[in-house]
Amino acid sequence: MTDIPQITNDMGDLRVRARGLQKSFGDNHVLHGIDLDVAAGTTSVLIGPSGSGKTTILRSLNVLERPDSGTIRIDDVEVDFATLPDKGGSARQQIAALRAQSGMVFQAHNLFPHKTVIQNVIEGPVQVQKRPLEQAVDEAKALLDQVGLSDKADQYPFQLSGGQQQRVGIARALALKPRVMLFDEPTSALDPELVGEVLSVIKELAAEGWTTVLVTHEIRFAEHVADQVLFLDEGVVVERGPSAQVIGDPREERTQQFLKRILDPA
Amino acid sequence: MRHAVRLLVLAFVGLIVLPAGSATATTTHLAQADDRPVVRVGTEGVYPPFSFHDAKTNKLTGFDIDVIKAVAKKAGWKLTFVETTFDGIFTALDAKRIDVIANQVTRNPEREAKYGLGTTYTYSRGVIVVKKGTTGIKTLADIKKRSDDDDPVTAAESVTTSWADVARKAGAKIKAVDGFSEAAALVVRGDADLLINDNIAALDYLNTTGKDDIEIAGDAGDEVSEQVLAFRKDDPRLEESNKALAELKADGTLAKISEKYFKTDVTVENSGDVDVSGGRAARSDTEVAKDAAWPMLKKLLIATIPITIISFAFGLMVAVAAALARISGSRVLSAIAKAYISIIRGTPLLVQLFIVFYGLPEIGIKLSPWTSAILALSLNVGGYAAEVVRAAILSVPRGQFEAASTVGMGYWQSLRRIVFPQAARIAVPPLSNTAISLLKDTSLLAVVTVTELTQEARFAAANSGAYLVLYGVAAVYYWVVCVGMSAVQGRLETRLNRFVAR
Repeated sequence: MTDIPQITNDMGDLRVRARGLQKSFGDNHVLHGIDLDVAAGTTSVLIGPSGSGKTTILRSLNVLERPDSGTIRIDDVEVDFATLPDKGGSARQQIAALRAQSGMVFQAHNLFPHKTVIQNVIEGPVQVQKRPLEQAVDEAKALLDQVGLSDKADQYPFQLSGGQQQRVGIARALALKPRVMLFDEPTSALDPELVGEVLSVIKELAAEGWTTVLVTHEIRFAEHVADQVLFLDEGVVVERGPSAQVIGDPREERTQQFLKRILDPA
Repeated sequence: MRHAVRLLVLAFVGLIVLPAGSATATTTHLAQADDRPVVRVGTEGVYPPFSFHDAKTNKLTGFDIDVIKAVAKKAGWKLTFVETTFDGIFTALDAKRIDVIANQVTRNPEREAKYGLGTTYTYSRGVIVVKKGTTGIKTLADIKKRSDDDDPVTAAESVTTSWADVARKAGAKIKAVDGFSEAAALVVRGDADLLINDNIAALDYLNTTGKDDIEIAGDAGDEVSEQVLAFRKDDPRLEESNKALAELKADGTLAKISEKYFKTDVTVENSGDVDVSGGRAARSDTEVAKDAAWPMLKKLLIATIPITIISFAFGLMVAVAAALARISGSRVLSAIAKAYISIIRGTPLLVQLFIVFYGLPEIGIKLSPWTSAILALSLNVGGYAAEVVRAAILSVPRGQFEAASTVGMGYWQSLRRIVFPQAARIAVPPLSNTAISLLKDTSLLAVVTVTELTQEARFAAANSGAYLVLYGVAAVYYWVVCVGMSAVQGRLETRLNRFVAR
């Protein structure tokens, strides 16, 4: 994809590097060779119309979708999807290793409904990472405190508001100590008055130096929090750069039209 | 998918090998304790006074039982008794589930040709039994005449008995029953005009049940019939048995056994009149119920309930394996699971039991009665529960699998920790239905010679004719267990609903 503006190689310490991601669902070709670089400690925001492939990119980083080809490297783990076997132990191991590098927050939170808040948070650390229970509980309590839910530890998800549920989802992802946090439209399913509490948690994380990739329609928030913004349309990166440029002063016509539709719908 | 295969294999291995293994272990144990050859005796257990359960001790007893025990003592055999309906008894002999029949098998040319029949140990005559007050049916000629008048009588008989042959030859239509007391009940109800049977059995029935609504109308011909032990053709034990019978006759043992039951020696021709009045006295329904309540409860506790629990556990494993196979995405696995579910749901459990118990030995797979029962019931439950489990798994949102993946879980861990606990909430009510049905389905197990609650009730009924009270007690036992199961279901549901908004 040589028509894409230059990939910034001077971002210093790269945390995420994706090259040439291709993905089709049947006849529907959704990713046309995506490149993505995310520097450590920065926040990248993916924007674009629905069907543009932004969520598929994010899900590919966690291998919830498996790219048909291309490579993804997060920190020191790299998987080449063109040569990855279809199935078998080696493929499972590689996918697990890459997946372990990232923490995922879903649009629909996907909390485990049969587990309490704190059980949701310690499930991965204790059951998968085999960390001692006591240590996991202590860390979980600290995380719940951080997202402002220390008093909800023993409640079940159905007893919480949407914004609280989403913050538990964030704590659950953080508990895995991932190298990068992935947010897939974390506020899209929320009532408007609950959006702020979730965004402010994400903002804090960014400020703390978490490496973050975020898919969102909250353009104003993206502009404020993003170090890098990528605008996608029809499976290609149309424009990328600092938020001040891509959102503040977009060069591409498609970007301009999209932002106009979003920011000034009337 | 590989996991699903592994689980399927494990489930089936568990079903087939484990019970078989434990059966082998038991046999070895017995062999160490006692090295006499084991001879398996087929008998009805519901044909007093020849083969029945003592009302007080509940032990299998009777004239034929005493005779075969005496034979075994002489011949140096160790006996195990297998109780089955008369109509299943020759099948069991053919299928090598038993070695000898001790149940007043009447000698006739057809049996002579097919089986190894021993020397005669009972001489008896057939009688025609009718509802009290019936007129015009006293002899086989009367039956014949009705047939010639195009108004044939109906005779209640176990269809493979020689008595059924006698009735058939006389022109009667046969109404199939499972034993003498059921035949008598049909005559009383008026659903059959008569029954033909051994005079001793008829006299004993009248005496012990105290019933006066049927009576002996007359002799079924003037031929004396001879009853023998039946082995498979060419079984060397036939000779051992004949030798033992000759010795028993010579030393007076046979006569003594006969005197005990009949006050006369029926083991020789032209004995005096049989008198069974000294035997078991008629009991009131209350006494019958009291005598049978504990043996029935015991069978509920040591057969019905354990078989239900074991079959349900295995069945659930099979169901989970079949459900996972169906949703595995593998066409082959899915097709296998679909075929299995279709076959199980498309055929009656009774037929499945017959296939496992009597059919499989023909291709070299011989399972013990308990193993057969558990195998058939497990596969049956598995077929029904598979669809319940599949629906329950599919009811768990896809996002739950994804969330489990993102915290690092593999397929099995996701299923165990995330999916199954949520699916359980959906599956418990329909699975409880399946479990309750299973409990009641165990009442069919008499056909694989497992004595459970219902069969125990039949034994007691054969001895007394007190159907209402005995099957009433059985019904209450089943119902109480079902109430308990419903209570467990309720607690489970409460527990599983705790994480759901109401």
